[in-house]
Amino acid sequence: MTGSPYRIVILGGGTAGWMCAAGLSRLLPAADYDITLIESDEIGTVGVGEATLPHIKTFNDMLGLDEAEFMRAAMASFKVGIEFVGWGREGERYIHPFGTFGERWAGADFQHHWARARLAGSDRRSLQDYSFAVAVCRAAGFEHPGEDPGSIRSTYAYAYHFDAGLYARYLREWTTARGVRRLEGKVASVRRDGESGDVAALALESGAEIAGDLFVDCSGFRSLLLGQTMGVPWHDWSEWLPCDRALALPCAGTAPMLPFTRCTAQRGGWTWRIPLQHRIGNGHVFASEFCSEEDAERTLRGAIDGEVQGEPRLLRFQAGRRGAGWAGNAVAIGLSSGFLEPLESTSIFLIQAAVTDLAALMPRRGQRVDPRLRAEFNRLFEVHYDRTRDFIVLHYAANAREGEPLWDHVRHMALPDSLTHKIELFRESAIAPDYALGLFSRDSWLSVFEGQGVVPRAHSPLAERLPLPELQRRLDDLAERIALNAAEMTPLAEFLADYCAAEGVALPGVAVSAA
Amino acid sequence: MSGVAILGRGAPLWLAAAALRRALGPAGVEVDAVALPDETAPGDLYPTLPAIEALHDQIGIDEAVLLRGARGAFTLGRNIVDRSGAEQPPLLLAHGGYGTGIDGEDFFPHWLKARHHGLGVGLDDFSLTASAAHQGRLFLPDEVSARYGRADYGYHLPAAGYAKNLKAIARHLGVRIAETRTVDVEHGEAGVTALRIDDGTRIAAALFVDATREGVVLREGLGEAFVPWAAPGDRMFTARAPRLASVPVYAEVRAGAEGWTALYPGLTHLHVAHVWSSAAASDEEALAAAGAASGFALEAPAVRAVAPGFVHEPWTANVVGVGEAAAGFDPLHGFALHALQLGLVHLIACFPTGGAMEARRAEYNRQMAIHIARVRDFEVAHFALQRHAGPFWDAARRVPLSAELDHLIALFRARGEIAPQEGESLPPDAWRALFTGLGVVSEGWRPAADRLPPDAAKAHFRKMLGFVREQVLRQPTHDAYLARIAQASRG
Repeated sequence: MTGSPYRIVILGGGTAGWMCAAGLSRLLPAADYDITLIESDEIGTVGVGEATLPHIKTFNDMLGLDEAEFMRAAMASFKVGIEFVGWGREGERYIHPFGTFGERWAGADFQHHWARARLAGSDRRSLQDYSFAVAVCRAAGFEHPGEDPGSIRSTYAYAYHFDAGLYARYLREWTTARGVRRLEGKVASVRRDGESGDVAALALESGAEIAGDLFVDCSGFRSLLLGQTMGVPWHDWSEWLPCDRALALPCAGTAPMLPFTRCTAQRGGWTWRIPLQHRIGNGHVFASEFCSEEDAERTLRGAIDGEVQGEPRLLRFQAGRRGAGWAGNAVAIGLSSGFLEPLESTSIFLIQAAVTDLAALMPRRGQRVDPRLRAEFNRLFEVHYDRTRDFIVLHYAANAREGEPLWDHVRHMALPDSLTHKIELFRESAIAPDYALGLFSRDSWLSVFEGQGVVPRAHSPLAERLPLPELQRRLDDLAERIALNAAEMTPLAEFLADYCAAEGVALPGVAVSAA
Repeated sequence: MSGVAILGRGAPLWLAAAALRRALGPAGVEVDAVALPDETAPGDLYPTLPAIEALHDQIGIDEAVLLRGARGAFTLGRNIVDRSGAEQPPLLLAHGGYGTGIDGEDFFPHWLKARHHGLGVGLDDFSLTASAAHQGRLFLPDEVSARYGRADYGYHLPAAGYAKNLKAIARHLGVRIAETRTVDVEHGEAGVTALRIDDGTRIAAALFVDATREGVVLREGLGEAFVPWAAPGDRMFTARAPRLASVPVYAEVRAGAEGWTALYPGLTHLHVAHVWSSAAASDEEALAAAGAASGFALEAPAVRAVAPGFVHEPWTANVVGVGEAAAGFDPLHGFALHALQLGLVHLIACFPTGGAMEARRAEYNRQMAIHIARVRDFEVAHFALQRHAGPFWDAARRVPLSAELDHLIALFRARGEIAPQEGESLPPDAWRALFTGLGVVSEGWRPAADRLPPDAAKAHFRKMLGFVREQVLRQPTHDAYLARIAQASRG
């Protein structure tokens, strides 16, 4: 290979920036790429991504991180699902589990059997009762999933709650030790190539100029390169997702520690609760058109169950994405490329997907950006954002909070056609979305459908291959296996204390041992 | 839903009837099969993709019984050889996978890179099935071979014998069978209410499945438009020739200047298909020329039109088109049963249970549209990229590409990647083998492949080649295995 290494310049050192630097340095051959990350300690990071999806484990495993070490460093806890409170009627709750519902019997997916037994009146259990992951959440337990595919203990996956700032710092150590150059500085101006319009270099306030071949924009909401410099238009999704503010306010941990994120619907939006080792992250996502900041703060303080730490921090945003994630030689990853509220913990997944796609489509040493590779990146970028959007919009569209202006509005809004079809199909037939590309499996869709009152009126005739008494026997057996195994789970806080507790942290509900 | 009536002929009718009855019978769904006069000619044969095995298993079809009864044989793929004078290398499209992962990463980028640096070993040598095909051996996958990669096979199923077998199975499963020369479609408010047959019987159903070649109910009855696809050939004949001394384990497709001739080995005969353009030759001329060119004595030739195309909404009102009623492909790659299988799988998944069915209808049409489009892209990719000489192949090169296919080819050229698509039913290795075999040379590979030192890659390659050679040598010859299957019935 001739010539100098291909120069990648990453602008911004938040979660997106360091995940990008770590992923690229791991996936690209070191000899051919020169990776620089520019960040400024003066610029705060948003760090909304405290809650993750199970895919993050694939990313960390790809890097080769030691799980216990990373968890200690990032004050991380385990997460087996997301609990939604009050999204149907006030007080109703369900869990979106990181696991499967039931088993496939007689050639038909489980929900058809469940729907049949319910419609026949022989079974009154919720779909929730047929998920081991839900039972683990309810038991406030955690253990690593089993490996025997025949065991109910293998039917779930897990993710983490962590301090995104600490995770980024951990990745920074890991990445800079592997040859990625970190520069402290703020960008004063962007120099572009007159002919192509590509970014040629970033001029820092110090006077230094950082030239590169490809620039990754991890500058957050500013979208300095993709939005401001390249002028890639913004697609506004607030017609479907009207929330545009968030207040964040952490508190001390409470016992028992819970292995799930909780999202509670409120009059003007919803509040989150994310337990970490050393605190609970809380926040209130709300729609300024329907809820004042004062009301939001009152609601948030009312929702917090531990001793409040510090003052609330306000974030402003708009739901949507850029028309493309990659323009010219600038690629946006993270908030610079789009924003979806953290209702389904998708921010970090969207970063991870972009990093993985970019690594596979990265120009090779001595080459320029290839429009064919860029087109593929942008195609996948749209798939990831748009599918995630539909899933999040479903939570709003299927609410049952009648008489509250925000909720009445989103219950009656016109939906994307792709989402309308999914809802009608499930109601008519119990067929749930099952696609090859993009986020959210059939089980995820099932949990929200049932949890928010979208119930099937019919089921696949394939389910009728099982005689009804045989079906009921199997359902009872399944529910029993789930309950028995969940009862034996180690409490989450105890598991963390043994496995990955950070030094000096007192986990809620765990007696400090004298060892 | 009281019942379903299926109109069709031959193997497609009986496969649809058996599959629906087997899946839905336990739910009390009665299946009426209304059979129009069979048009199957002695030379007709279905080459199948490996996926058909799943449908056969679901119906409960035993492989050995099927091959004996239908006089079928195994196939590891199709080998397209140039007889057009363009002196192109043969294109073997084997059914199995190519290579095995290296340290958890795809094989293909490593092979691309090595070839760029002068590796002289082709993709076929890394494939269990392609290597077996070259050596006249079948490949029967086991746990050891599965760890290396997919080693799938399809069948050559003579249409008449296959239909006879399927009809017996359908009858055994409780399908009610009516035979008729003509059919009248009776309409009502919600679509079709009944089929009236020759003897005056009125076959009523809540749902009708159209498995006819020409879309008797869907297109002629309901007026759904058939959208033709461009293709270089519009005429086809099939014929039979005596069995070869040794039964090859793949199909050979000879690409001549005026069309192509396929040789499909079966258990008792060699089946021959020939496709050409009526603008270039009359039926008589084509028969004579193809007969002479093949070098075989052709028996029982039968000519028919080739008219690929699709219907936008194959499920309209209460009529569901499957197979050629919904979408017909060019015969070159043998996608006919694959298209039928896609329809049956999605129909069973979306089968209505009484009450509203609008959403399931929309879902069936959506799924069919994306799945059919991907299969069509595959045949168009071959048309567009092949390098045979002559007017037939010039016309093939003029067939327009979809935007998705255009992107797929561009991405492969740029980086050797197959863009993942919703609705894809062919494995990525099928696309890789097609592009590579047609001489599309990727300009690069994913950079991650450069993390492996060239010597380490070479060592992995040597190990793979050794493994493939050793595995293939352990396999039975096609002849020996067919003999074993034939004997089992007497034993």
